[in-house]
Parts: sequence; C-alpha cells; structure tokens
Amino acid sequence: MTNLIETLSIASSGMQAQSERLRFISENIANEDTPGYRRKLATFEEVIRGGEGTGMVRSGPVELDQSDLARTFSPGHPMADQTGYYDGSNVNLVVEVADAREAQRSYEANLRVFDQARQMSQNLLEILKR
Amino acid sequence: MDLRTTLAVSGYAGAKPGTEPAASQTGGNAADMAKSFTETMRESEEVAVQAMTGDADPQALVQALAETQLAVETAVTIRDRVVEAYQEILRMPV
Repeated sequence: MTNLIETLSIASSGMQAQSERLRFISENIANEDTPGYRRKLATFEEVIRGGEGTGMVRSGPVELDQSDLARTFSPGHPMADQTGYYDGSNVNLVVEVADAREAQRSYEANLRVFDQARQMSQNLLEILKR
Repeated sequence: MDLRTTLAVSGYAGAKPGTEPAASQTGGNAADMAKSFTETMRESEEVAVQAMTGDADPQALVQALAETQLAVETAVTIRDRVVEAYQEILRMPV
C-alpha cells in the first residue's frame, strides 16, 4: 500500500513540474516580441531527501537560451543601433508550441499513472469489503 | 493419576503463551495506523484550505484528497469487518 501511496505523490510531483514547464512556455510566447528577451528553458532534477533519491521530480533553476537574438532592420526603432538593426527575442513560436505539446503529453502520462495507482489501491480494498 | 493431571495442567500452562498475540506489536501497529490516519486527514484539510486560498497547487489538492479517500475507505472497511466479527461472536449459541 505504501508503494501505491508513494506513486501518488511521485506522479503528483511530475504533474507539478510539467505545469511549471508550461508556465515558462507561456512566458516565452508572451515575450516573443520583447526586444532582447532570451527564451527560458525549464530544467528538471530529482528530489533528494536525506542524501537519497526519492524518485520525485522538481523543476531546477531556470536557464536562458544563449542562442543568437533575431536581428531586425528598422532604423526608426528607438533601440536600433548605428547600423539600423535592433535585437529582438530568440523565441521561435513553432518550437514553443511543440514544447507545450510535449508538456501536455508528459502531464497526461503522469495523470494516468496517478489514476492507475488510485484504482489499484481501491481494487485492493474491494477484496476486503466482500 | 494425580501426577498425570498435574503434568497436563503444567504442560497446558506452558503452551498457553504461544497462543497469545504479541500484545505490544499488535497494539503498536494499530496505534500507528490510527495516527497516520489522523495525520493524513489533517494534512488533506490543510492542503484543501491552502488550495482555496491559492497557496497550494491543484495537483497537491487532488493528491491529498485521493490519499484521504483511500485512508477513509481502509478505516471504514476495517471497522466493518471488526463489527461483523463481533456480531458473529454475539450470535454464537451458548
């Protein structure tokens, strides 16, 4: 029974991490037109408790994508330099949408595991009731 | 004859402790179970309040509620079985 209860909390931590990842994606999409914005990357790490891995996951420190910013030619822009270019963001909408879909699938997988563990322990209790 | 009866009585008395449950162990487990049950209930209530005030995530709420549901179902099932066994004893013709 403790294994099934632990499965519940591990799956719950997975859902938590994936929802945080989706939040970063929404921040990236919202800042697509912000000049100088670097897209945020969600990192994951295992939760260590008492020097031992618990199997649970949590999101680690945020990393910024260090790839080149998109340079746009617009001499009238207030942030344009001498050459007439200004730095946009390095957010690619297609990448973000694909990442969001991946987060959704991972969330669903964790949700299924959660539901399965719950059903397994409920089925176990059904035997006692007879 | 007298000697035999004494032997039987002492033998019975010697064997009797084997039929007794290890009292401390059983009591400890039941107490632990009851304690973890109340603990689970208290935690889930806390998480529910936090979720309502926006401090906890919905995942945490769902997890706490699922754990509480399992704990309550276990407790109710065990109680039903105990009561059933007790009634069975009461119905025994003396």
